[in-house]
Amino acid sequence: MKTPLAWKNLTYNRVRTGVALAGVGFAVILIFMQMGFKGAVRKTATQIYDALDFDLMLRSPSYLHLTEPRTFPRERIFEAASMPTVAKARPFYLGLSEWQAPQPDDVPPDQWHGQWRGIITIGVDPNDPPFLPEDLRDKAAELTDARFVLIDSKSKREFGPKNGSRFGPEDIGVETTLGSGRVQIVDYVTLGTGLAANGACIANYEGFARACPWQPLDEANLGLINLRTGVEPNAAKEQLQALLGPPTTSSTPSAMPADVEVLTRAEVKAREEYRWVHQTPLGKIFTFGVWVALFVGVAIVYQVLSTDIANMMAEYATLKAMGYPNRYLATVVLQQSVMLALVGYVPSLIIASGLYAFVGTWSGLPMIMTWQIMAIVLVLAVAMCTVSGMFALRKLFQADPADLF
Amino acid sequence: MSSPQMLNSLPATSGAYTNGMQIPKTVKVGHLNHYFGEGELRKQALYHNNLEVRRGEIVIMTGPSGSGKTTLLTLVGTLRTVQEGSLKVLGHELNGATNDAIVRLRQELGFIFQAHNLFESLTAYQNVNMAAELQGMNRKLADERITYLLTRLGLGHRIHYKPKSLSGGQKQRVAIARGLVHQPKLVLADEPTAALDEQSGREVVTLFQELARNEGCTIIMVTHDNRVLDVADRIVNMVDGRIRSDVAVHETSVICEFLRRYPLFADLQTSTLTEVADKMMVEEAQPEDLVIRQGDPGELFYLIRSGRVDVVVEENGEKRKVAELGEGQYFGEAALLRDEPRNATIVARTKCLFYTLGKVDFKQVLDRSKSFDAEVRAVLASRT
Repeated sequence: MKTPLAWKNLTYNRVRTGVALAGVGFAVILIFMQMGFKGAVRKTATQIYDALDFDLMLRSPSYLHLTEPRTFPRERIFEAASMPTVAKARPFYLGLSEWQAPQPDDVPPDQWHGQWRGIITIGVDPNDPPFLPEDLRDKAAELTDARFVLIDSKSKREFGPKNGSRFGPEDIGVETTLGSGRVQIVDYVTLGTGLAANGACIANYEGFARACPWQPLDEANLGLINLRTGVEPNAAKEQLQALLGPPTTSSTPSAMPADVEVLTRAEVKAREEYRWVHQTPLGKIFTFGVWVALFVGVAIVYQVLSTDIANMMAEYATLKAMGYPNRYLATVVLQQSVMLALVGYVPSLIIASGLYAFVGTWSGLPMIMTWQIMAIVLVLAVAMCTVSGMFALRKLFQADPADLF
Repeated sequence: MSSPQMLNSLPATSGAYTNGMQIPKTVKVGHLNHYFGEGELRKQALYHNNLEVRRGEIVIMTGPSGSGKTTLLTLVGTLRTVQEGSLKVLGHELNGATNDAIVRLRQELGFIFQAHNLFESLTAYQNVNMAAELQGMNRKLADERITYLLTRLGLGHRIHYKPKSLSGGQKQRVAIARGLVHQPKLVLADEPTAALDEQSGREVVTLFQELARNEGCTIIMVTHDNRVLDVADRIVNMVDGRIRSDVAVHETSVICEFLRRYPLFADLQTSTLTEVADKMMVEEAQPEDLVIRQGDPGELFYLIRSGRVDVVVEENGEKRKVAELGEGQYFGEAALLRDEPRNATIVARTKCLFYTLGKVDFKQVLDRSKSFDAEVRAVLASRT
């Protein structure tokens, strides 16, 4: 068996290896965090849609993203309901309103100047709430009055939860102002709006109309279509779009209704992600952040590996003098790099998972460690170490052994 | 009848014709120049170096530090890129050699560096094994040889120690074992005995001698250690990047022995004889060749290294063989001494090899012999 030189080198000088691992680990955590932020942007886009029950979505052709949905005539939804393939068609309202932090019990009414915050307000039908999670459906059924709201427990603390951090059971029954009217919190739900807004609440149609009085209810934001079982969504989409006319953003009056776009669930998700990740400044910042983390990571790992190689230059030069080809030296250094990457990766994954949970709780961002992130970061970590190792080897490849002693 | 051939002005002490036989060359250096630095700072380190090393020879390179010994050694060892001139090692020209060829050649060489350069993470055994492994040596043979070499070098009880727990001398000996384990054809050693005590140093050079004798291994060693000079077959002295002398030790002593038999040289000190030997050149003759002709002017003094010659004197138109000369005997001195034409003709009987000394040099030596004689007389006379 060949002498496992790379392994021997790593296990022999534990301090040096420890320092190298710390460097690699730091770089990997940096990448993890940026990937997590970027993932949060992506998740932002789809968090609410993932909780909604629909196969096809009707929306305005000038729809931008979740918090800029624009409107289209509600009758298009009823028209769609006339299709034999459609099982159910429901309007969905979503707009930004203003929420005043509730008055705490110990503050006299005349001294309360509660902060006003922008909040996503969702309007649904309590008799048939279009949510997938069962508890969300059950709780939405409680919205029997226009004055009742459900508050998202992932709303930030500035929205005024009683315990100072999150809305929970103790906030049930609290009254405050939403838009122009008084509302009462009847329950709390877990929805999450990520980077789109700082908080969200759900009301019934009338409640939504009170919160966003500028939007008449016959102008819907989204139309949620459920198809009959066994209907192919893409075919149904074509039919529906044909029925409703081609979408156009032109404001010229037209005989044909051309103010609605029909999308499948997959298209909605893909477009929303694309919008947030590639078109909003937020998405660009974090995409850039991943690159910066990668460069910083390469710089750190290169520094660590090149110092390591420099320390053993005489020994490597001796191997070269003995007739070991550059290929062998490269293999040893690369093995060493890959081992560092793999061993450095595991604790970094654990630490990063902890940081995700911490940042998620603290900022309300949906930081989720997916297997895609784990795999991508693992590949990046190995690539980073390999490239740095190769760079560090350049000197050994180019120089005459006699100059290296 | 042809005349004997002057061989490319080859000096007698080069040892090229030891026992009249040419031994294959391991290293051949021709007009080698080497420079360090670039542009303005470029400085020449080696000037027109010429050197031939034969198989199985132990060559010791001496000279003050900075004289270029190590530079020449690393060039021969393919550790530096040849810049100018020709350098042939084990039959491969290194000037312009491809990287692959150099890597292959390196596997036939053994290096012993001034610094031991052992891997701290590997034991003595594993460090030595790195060299054996590269050659794909049979595991069992490699194991035996590693154990043999380490034991031989007095490390039998430390085979599985890491360098950290070895002394400087012990580390150096591990490095020596590593340089020898793969049965290299050429060993290059830079101050191999510097870190060793006298006994271990002796053991190392004895091991070198055995390898040279038994495995035909050629050894080139840079050393300042006078204690090991006795193992050298050839001593190369360098000064300021030039090879000042390159002498085959055994051949030189043979020549000195021969010269001492000549009465006029008998009084000379060994150092003077060595100088004379240094000035002699090699000449070769085939059977029936006419070496000198009676009546010609005398230019050279001949010493027979091998073969036999007839001395023929022509008197009154009649040729008469007066003597037959053999190895260690000389002729041609009478004409030089008296500035007369040759008094006899010399014909090679067999294939012959002569070492010749020019007239001017010959006379100079005699003058020194005389002045030495006079000096001795003066010293004796001044005694009371």
